[in-house]
Amino acid sequence: MRIEILVARFGLRVVPDGPIANGMKIPAVTLISCIVLMAGCQKKGEITVTEKRELTSKDVKPKLFATSDQRFKNAQPSPVEGTPPPHWLVLPASQFRLLNYRFGESGLGEVSVGLSAGTVKANADRWLRQFQLPPLEDEAFAKLRTVPLAGVQGVWLDASGDYESGMGASGKPGYGLAGIIASVNGQILTVKMLGPKAEVEAERGELEKYAQTLRLTHAATPAPAPQP
Amino acid sequence: MRKRCASPMPPRQLRLLSPETRLFHTIMDSSSTPLVPKAPRTPLQWTFDLLSGFGLATIILLMLGLLTWFATLEQIDNGLYPTLKKYFDWRSVFVIPEYNGRMVPLPLLGGYWTCALLLVNLLLGGVIRIRKGWKHVGNLISHFGIILLLVAGGVSHHYSERGNMAVGEGETVDVAEDYFEHVVEVAEVKNGVQGNIHVIRGKDLTDLRAGTNRIFRLPDLPFDLEIGGYLENASPVSVVEVAPMHGEQSFDGYYLMEKPGEKNAEANTAGCYARPIYRENNPANKTTPFILAGASFQAYTLKVGERIFTVDMRKRLWLMPFTVRLDQFTAEFHPGSMRPKKFVSQITRKEHGVESKYTIQMNEPMRYEGLTFFQANYGPQGAAPGQKLFSVFEVVKNPADKWPEYSLYIVAFGMLVTFLMKLGLYLAAVARKNRHV
Repeated sequence: MRIEILVARFGLRVVPDGPIANGMKIPAVTLISCIVLMAGCQKKGEITVTEKRELTSKDVKPKLFATSDQRFKNAQPSPVEGTPPPHWLVLPASQFRLLNYRFGESGLGEVSVGLSAGTVKANADRWLRQFQLPPLEDEAFAKLRTVPLAGVQGVWLDASGDYESGMGASGKPGYGLAGIIASVNGQILTVKMLGPKAEVEAERGELEKYAQTLRLTHAATPAPAPQP
Repeated sequence: MRKRCASPMPPRQLRLLSPETRLFHTIMDSSSTPLVPKAPRTPLQWTFDLLSGFGLATIILLMLGLLTWFATLEQIDNGLYPTLKKYFDWRSVFVIPEYNGRMVPLPLLGGYWTCALLLVNLLLGGVIRIRKGWKHVGNLISHFGIILLLVAGGVSHHYSERGNMAVGEGETVDVAEDYFEHVVEVAEVKNGVQGNIHVIRGKDLTDLRAGTNRIFRLPDLPFDLEIGGYLENASPVSVVEVAPMHGEQSFDGYYLMEKPGEKNAEANTAGCYARPIYRENNPANKTTPFILAGASFQAYTLKVGERIFTVDMRKRLWLMPFTVRLDQFTAEFHPGSMRPKKFVSQITRKEHGVESKYTIQMNEPMRYEGLTFFQANYGPQGAAPGQKLFSVFEVVKNPADKWPEYSLYIVAFGMLVTFLMKLGLYLAAVARKNRHV
């Protein structure tokens, strides 16, 4: 086979009568080759599925014939109910977020409602720790403003600064927190608003109004897992 | 590097000449005008000179510096994964950087292609064109080391897989979940258990934006699936709760609400619409489209005759060749903060009935059978004392996992050879000079 490209001392050259040089003389061949190559890159309208996988430890027994409500909303009846402002986006609940919302122009503002373990002060200190703030002295804790939450008085907590969730993620600077913590029927009910400081400050009033609409349902049971 | 014109006379002989003759030789030697006129360069020669030139290498290194700098700044606002994708994915040929949300009018060649150009430059300039000889062997070795580093980057970009494995204390897990790839799974259910699970990969779904559909043939099953309207980040929303604002189609009271991409791209939940196409006409078969969403709690069920199937969208599951049991997890934080100091997972790896104990902690991963397990995370956040924790490992399968390390050894060895060679030559020159004094 003839070597098409020769390496000169410092350069390369195409042999004048080689197949590449001859091929270049026929534009139609080049054009058709390009079209064929381009067509090969396009995705097909039909694909035969050949990939399969085995059952894993993650697979659970499926719930058959689930309705759309069961598929897209947490099937467990929520232990907490509330009426959010219309501009908050309702998100699906999760294990630790019994009610879950998004707000604000940045799309980073979030409100979560959860049931937690411990005491009101322990939860307040945990939230402050996420902003690298020291725990509250008993005197300072006693002076915290109280607001109605699920039929009882809860303490209102504000914080701002660099937010660190404690999950190893990098800190989020310029964040704000507004939240309410109350002890309801032996459980700690928390309402936590997090997001860019300015957006949290703008929504504090809505949070306070929303907290008044919250109530525990019959599904609330004691000793749940803590929430973020 | 291009060879300089050889001196017409060795320096030792030059010293023996008269000052006038020496000046003439010096002028002639340093003159840029060659004695023999150069032959005109062919286009190929010109291209070769350009691609192998030191000037191009300098421009590429500057460009890599700029790309890294802009990407570091941009990831603060846009998140790490989208920024990496924008700057270093092979599909990004050109990049327009952003700073503080504003476009910087400085188009840059994408990081992948910049590295590819550097690879070509190194091969042509640093291997083919470089001056050969025993004095330059160190440079050549170092260049091979850098070439290996660049090839490692390419292999890693195209062939590595990344996922995460969450294991609770006392729990045994045999599967990792992909960070980003959403797949559609179709399975037949017999006696309440799924089997024959078909996987439609994300790469065949992501281009199915609004108005584009694709039929997925499932030869083992009595139906095929037509899928379209793929959204990278979407939530199924009830029309009762939030009315569709952009004319989205709703099915069974729900529609897919598109959301902007999350800063942490692994938090994106994809969604799409699907419709079954049956092989046999049976009026009892439901042909209405349905929603598939990564953010769903249950799969969609299809009944064809007496057979039952589930269709679901989820992050791709990735079966491990062994199981991992988390025996104990401990987390330590810096005092008064939630900044992690130490995460330690004591695990038992079990393969073919053989158990082996291992400790995985930050910066001390477990490497086994081409897989690397890094300590990545833990949960639940703010757990109460005594509460059971779960540990999250990042699982990476990268054929080029250790290549960067090897390349650094090669580069270091090459530099050491160059240094020792220079030192030897210098010492020899000093010794020669001393002999002549």
